[in-house]
Amino acid sequence: MATTTVTHPGTIAYQGRRSWIYEWLTTTDHKKIGKMYIFTSFLFFIAGGIMALLIRTELAFPGVQFVDAETYNQLFTIHGTTMIFLFVMPMFVGLANFIVPLQIGAADMAFPRINALSFWMIPLGGLLLYSGYAVGGAANAGWTGYAPLSAQGGAGLDLWLMALVLLGMSSVLGAINFMTTIFKMRAPGMTLLRMPLFVWNTLVTSVLLLFAVPVLTAGLMMLFIDRNYGGGFFDPALGGNPVLWQHVFWFFGHPEVYILILPAFGIVTEILPVFSRKPLFGYKAFVFATSAIGALGFSVWAHHMFTTGAVYLPFFSFFTFLISVPTGIKFFNWLATMWGGQLRFSTPLLYALGFIALFLIGGLDGAFLAVVPFDFHVQDTYWVVSHLHYVLVAGAVFGIFAGLFYWFPKMTGRMLNERLGKWQFVLLFVGTNLTFFPQHLLGLDGMIRRIVDYAPNPGWPELNLLSSIGAFVIALSILPFIWNVFITLRGPRNAPDDPWEANTLEWATTSPPPSYNFDSLPPIRSERPLFDLRHGLTPHAAAALPAGPTETHDETRADAPEGSK
Amino acid sequence: MPLVGLRQRIASVRETRFATVAFVAVLAAISAACSGAAAGHPGYEPGYGPGGPGPGFFPLQPVSQGGTLVSNFYPFIFWIAVAVFVLVEGLLIWIVLRYRRRPTDTELPKQTHGNGVLEVIWTLIPAIIVTAMFVFTVDTLGKVETAQDPADNPQMTVDVTGFQWQWTFEYKDKGISLTGTGRDGPTMALPINEKIRIRLHATDVIHSFYVPQFLYKKDAIPGRTNEFDVIVQQVGTYAGQCAEFCGIGHADMHFTVQAMTPADFDAWVAQQQAPPPSASALPSNAPLVSVTSVGVVQGFTPKELSVAADTPWSVSLTNSDAAVPHNFSIHSANADGSDWNAPINADAGGSVTYQPPALATGEYTFFCSLHPNMTGTLHVGQ
Ligand SMILES: [Cu+2]
Ligand SMILES: [Cu+2]
Repeated sequence: MATTTVTHPGTIAYQGRRSWIYEWLTTTDHKKIGKMYIFTSFLFFIAGGIMALLIRTELAFPGVQFVDAETYNQLFTIHGTTMIFLFVMPMFVGLANFIVPLQIGAADMAFPRINALSFWMIPLGGLLLYSGYAVGGAANAGWTGYAPLSAQGGAGLDLWLMALVLLGMSSVLGAINFMTTIFKMRAPGMTLLRMPLFVWNTLVTSVLLLFAVPVLTAGLMMLFIDRNYGGGFFDPALGGNPVLWQHVFWFFGHPEVYILILPAFGIVTEILPVFSRKPLFGYKAFVFATSAIGALGFSVWAHHMFTTGAVYLPFFSFFTFLISVPTGIKFFNWLATMWGGQLRFSTPLLYALGFIALFLIGGLDGAFLAVVPFDFHVQDTYWVVSHLHYVLVAGAVFGIFAGLFYWFPKMTGRMLNERLGKWQFVLLFVGTNLTFFPQHLLGLDGMIRRIVDYAPNPGWPELNLLSSIGAFVIALSILPFIWNVFITLRGPRNAPDDPWEANTLEWATTSPPPSYNFDSLPPIRSERPLFDLRHGLTPHAAAALPAGPTETHDETRADAPEGSK
Repeated sequence: MPLVGLRQRIASVRETRFATVAFVAVLAAISAACSGAAAGHPGYEPGYGPGGPGPGFFPLQPVSQGGTLVSNFYPFIFWIAVAVFVLVEGLLIWIVLRYRRRPTDTELPKQTHGNGVLEVIWTLIPAIIVTAMFVFTVDTLGKVETAQDPADNPQMTVDVTGFQWQWTFEYKDKGISLTGTGRDGPTMALPINEKIRIRLHATDVIHSFYVPQFLYKKDAIPGRTNEFDVIVQQVGTYAGQCAEFCGIGHADMHFTVQAMTPADFDAWVAQQQAPPPSASALPSNAPLVSVTSVGVVQGFTPKELSVAADTPWSVSLTNSDAAVPHNFSIHSANADGSDWNAPINADAGGSVTYQPPALATGEYTFFCSLHPNMTGTLHVGQ
């Protein structure tokens, strides 16, 4: 029972029947769709990164030397929109697409065709967003698109609105797909409390998307009506209210922060036990903390609006403070997971450690921002720019690279080069701090954000130059990664099924998995079925026996995949 | 709260700011070498002057009562954050050093699945800490937001209107209204140690009234009047800027606050109320150049002007735009190389005659400081 003999009769079934391009364009295989998500979002990461370099080049010195104000406004608008909606979100959806069905022992997503539809909306949305440059200028009102400024501006803003509606629809369809998959397609024995934490984080993220994105879509529609048909939702001259946009936007926008970071939490939580050779410390605490962060994420939106004078300050201050408690639980449980372990410093662990070390700064910043009178000072300054990049670069991007290095062998059957990976990590670690830490100091000194030019006040030119140099170091760190992927994909398949001695089901099948995922599944008696397989049942897992009959789902057996004709 | 102790601690930390400055001094040399291209900048903003401490881990020196409250409260949060940071990073480094996998590690480490007591401890302690932070936050907030108390009337009210991309300051009971543009923007004179109510209006999009040295900003929102009270405690000139992104001229939406003694303020009021001097003595033979500004998109007509070198001259700007004010400014026209900014704007449909400085031979760029995309070429020759 504890050993399986694996053969792959199906892997060559369709070879030669279809051209590879037709195969990719029409696929509904969650693994291929996942790879397309990852590849597409990485292209957008490069595009958004180039825009960041243009921004930092302009800001390297005081004065307007390199781009004019209008170009600059379009740059930071499209940079922010790209990185959030076209890079981080689809990148995590791509990783989850590939990994979640494998981790729960399913053969595919619940709705494979809707899954393909969700993906193809991403490049289409990107095309809409960027086509603004072809019609007289892309959107220029910031990624937050505050009304009534966003009611001005040209066709680029309408395209921005349409792109976001489309990308939002993709997210909602994806969220429903993930929730259905996770609730209905788990292998026998995979109870909710034995699910890998990455699956838990994907589940909570999906719930957040399902509740938050439709609110944004409604707001986008209202703005579209305002712009094109004289709706007046946000125009006080017509009885509207500009603050309403901010409520609608941030009711989506704050949960969005957790949509962008929870999957990274999940990846780190997967990696630490594997590379420490220990179980997760406080599995249930992680489940609780993830759910609590998701729930509290809906009660803090107006902390982005303290300076509007239109919100009840203590309420949003309190919940903003409170949300740091479950986040703190995660930090201490991560440390306790590694405590007493045997750490193996492969690239995935380095990125996970870098995540903990640097995301901490972004998290502590969050507590500062709950201090309303301090927020009055730093709102809309570079302090906030620093904070959000410590969350999104040190958090999301480090999490993404941790996940890419960890799962690359499973996706491609090939191990990425460790030496290049470590060089990349060092460059990215240094570059991130060089770029974003000085911005804390600039914000405290009163330098506001979204300005093409700044005064050469004492220390400002130096810190800005430092930040710009850091941005180029970050860009440099991406080159070894691209080279690494390139040479690895040209090399032979060298990855074993389970190169990291991991715990979860995706490592129970071949690298890469066959199209139907599993020939057979090991018994699932704990949250570490592969560990149990390697070492025999631990007393902890044995105590969890037997799996209750209500916890099995025979209709979702791997050998009876839903969606097959 | 032991304020004196806190202040001393702030002072000691402020000294470490010089370390920060020294840390970037190497880059200063590079920056100075490269920023030759950016010459023509008027230099430091008011309040940041040369010899200022520069950016550091603490907010800049406050000059208002509310700002001082925030500045005194900030170390409380800062040192808690530093303690958490040191604790977590310290544990992380310890773990990385102590628990590396060694070749001798063939046996599995002890498989610990959790510890209820520990987990309750590191849930409760952070919860208590953030509750304390919240209580003190609300306390400080109440003191900063004194405008919430209607019984406590201000001694003076200034109505501030933000619009793309300038500010108007109105002292309604004194009949003073100031509108300005450019790097220094209009100046708001305020008497020190008096409670001033600032009422914020906006006519087009959202702007935000931010004086860094008040450690305070509040949004000016169309269709809504926001207000706050401020007591400035130090005589001086302080930079202010629009903090909410408001379009193409956002970076140029500056203003200045000038805090003065009540006596000086009364003199300033009298000076503002005096009738403006009649048209200054310009030689009657001075050349007059005419420009029509058509609109934000079309720009000036004509886009090329010629005047004689080193001769007093004037330029008449007719604003034929239906709704938007414009002005006529010249890049790098001042003796120190900075931009010459129009002192007033031509309102929509209105006409203004400016007297820019006499210029040396060369080519200059004239522009509207409200709409930096509106430019034209000025040929100055013999
Ligand atoms: Cu503004
Ligand atoms: Cu203009």
